[in-house]
Amino acid sequence: MSEAINIGSVDDIDEGEAKVIPAAEAGTEDDIAVFHAEDGNFYALNDECTHETASLADGWIEGTEVECPVHSAKFCLKSGEAMCMPATIAARTHKVEVVDGDVLLYPNVPVAEQA
Amino acid sequence: MTSAKANDSIGALRRNLDAGSGAAKPRNIDVSPLIDSDGGLIDRSIYTDREIYAQEMRRIFARSWLFLAHETQFKKPGDFFTTFMGEDPVIVSMDKEKKIRVYLNSCRHRGVRLCRADAGATKMFTCTYHGWSFDLAGALQSVPNETAYPDTFKKENWSLIEVPRVETYKGLIFGNWDKNADSLEDNLGDMKYYMDAMLDRDPEGTEVVGGVMKWELEGNWKLAAEQFATDWYHVNMSHASALMVLSPTGKGPKADIAATPGRQHGSENGHGAGFPTHPKSRFDAKMVHDYYDYDFLRERLGDDAVEGPMTTGHATVFPNFSYLPVNGSIRVWHPKGPDKIEVWAWILVDKSMPQDVKDAQRLYNLRTFGPSGIFEADDGENWSEIQAISGGFVTNSVPLNFQMGIGSEREDGTYPGQTSELYSDAAGRAFYRHWAKVMNTPAWHETN
Repeated sequence: MSEAINIGSVDDIDEGEAKVIPAAEAGTEDDIAVFHAEDGNFYALNDECTHETASLADGWIEGTEVECPVHSAKFCLKSGEAMCMPATIAARTHKVEVVDGDVLLYPNVPVAEQA
Repeated sequence: MTSAKANDSIGALRRNLDAGSGAAKPRNIDVSPLIDSDGGLIDRSIYTDREIYAQEMRRIFARSWLFLAHETQFKKPGDFFTTFMGEDPVIVSMDKEKKIRVYLNSCRHRGVRLCRADAGATKMFTCTYHGWSFDLAGALQSVPNETAYPDTFKKENWSLIEVPRVETYKGLIFGNWDKNADSLEDNLGDMKYYMDAMLDRDPEGTEVVGGVMKWELEGNWKLAAEQFATDWYHVNMSHASALMVLSPTGKGPKADIAATPGRQHGSENGHGAGFPTHPKSRFDAKMVHDYYDYDFLRERLGDDAVEGPMTTGHATVFPNFSYLPVNGSIRVWHPKGPDKIEVWAWILVDKSMPQDVKDAQRLYNLRTFGPSGIFEADDGENWSEIQAISGGFVTNSVPLNFQMGIGSEREDGTYPGQTSELYSDAAGRAFYRHWAKVMNTPAWHETN
């Protein structure tokens, strides 16, 4: 399992915004998008939409979903699940924790779906 | 100008157009600069130009096999149905010998539309203007105040103008104004295999149920005909919301269905058909799916037809007849000017289906395709959006892209003729290749 990466303070990412952690920095194959959702929590998915080439970090965060800015596919930030067409494949999740005001990303550590 | 005529009465006045009689001589446009079917580029003016449209009436619709009606619409002598061949109105009717005959729906006297009903049964076609009356063989039977006409007036010279070629393929009636045209079956060629997957599932054949649904769209007729020939590509994008509604999860189809493999056929006569290929291809309406014995169908049509064109897919018979096997929609895209389509859609079912299965298929058809169908509305919107902005000079000057799958067409050893991958513009390129060829070739009425 990967070590956690401190990607900065919770104040660095406004609610409704996301930050891309490049693959080289995360030690992963793909870039990771860390989202500050409207429920106040932080979530991370692979940044690239599973449908076509697009950055989910550039998308619209609504509640605990992100809508792809290109073809409007939606993904659950908690589970990565594809919520609507044209996406049919889930986005990969990565665990995120907030500790002492810092956002810690665990690259390649999947999040079990939350009920 | 007699030997190649559909009817010697057409053009009997011999318009002296070259001598400047007042009527404009039709100018034929060389369309080859507008179509690059090998390179996959289409000039947008073919959807908007009024002269090109008029040339289509002369060189496409006056010489191609055009779908008219289904045989089951006619049971007894006198049964008739009125439709159009291009913009020419025609009466399709059954004569006393139970032969289907097709007449120009225009009185030989002053030209009024002779029959105004959509369909029905009659003994005689009588004009509502002055009362000239024609029998089921198209012969002029009665002329009020006939004694006032000179001795040179002979009723036998004023029969209805008849469409010289009427042929059927497995229940579908087509007509052609060109009496020297290749036979319908020769023209369909490889396309018959793809049509059989819809028309020949039942040894008893097919029938149409309900009436004809008709609605208007802003858009050039080719936008619709071309899409049904070549365009699976739009499905996941244009129909995303409809696919979500119909999927069991409410989120759309599974990945292997959304990214399905399949084949697309484009013929040298401009016909096209595309379909996913899957060992478990099935009908969407549950009662229809439950009704079919797929093993029987495999034996009857072959595994490749059952796993391909028999269910989900799309097709166009050049120029303007299209169909969707999965819901039995058969339709004509009637041109009504360069920027308007009148869609006429029938619902086709197998004759042997019990009534409740026929009803289930009809309801599934209505939910998905037809004037209020959840898929149909998406398509019409796209075509109208293309047309609505095409009047802009700059907009109209920018070519459109038909390059998907260029060079991928081949004989795959399974499906007849040339096929490409399902996601491809190959049949679109074939459609426009044939369109350009026909548009640049003088028709029967132009040769001496």
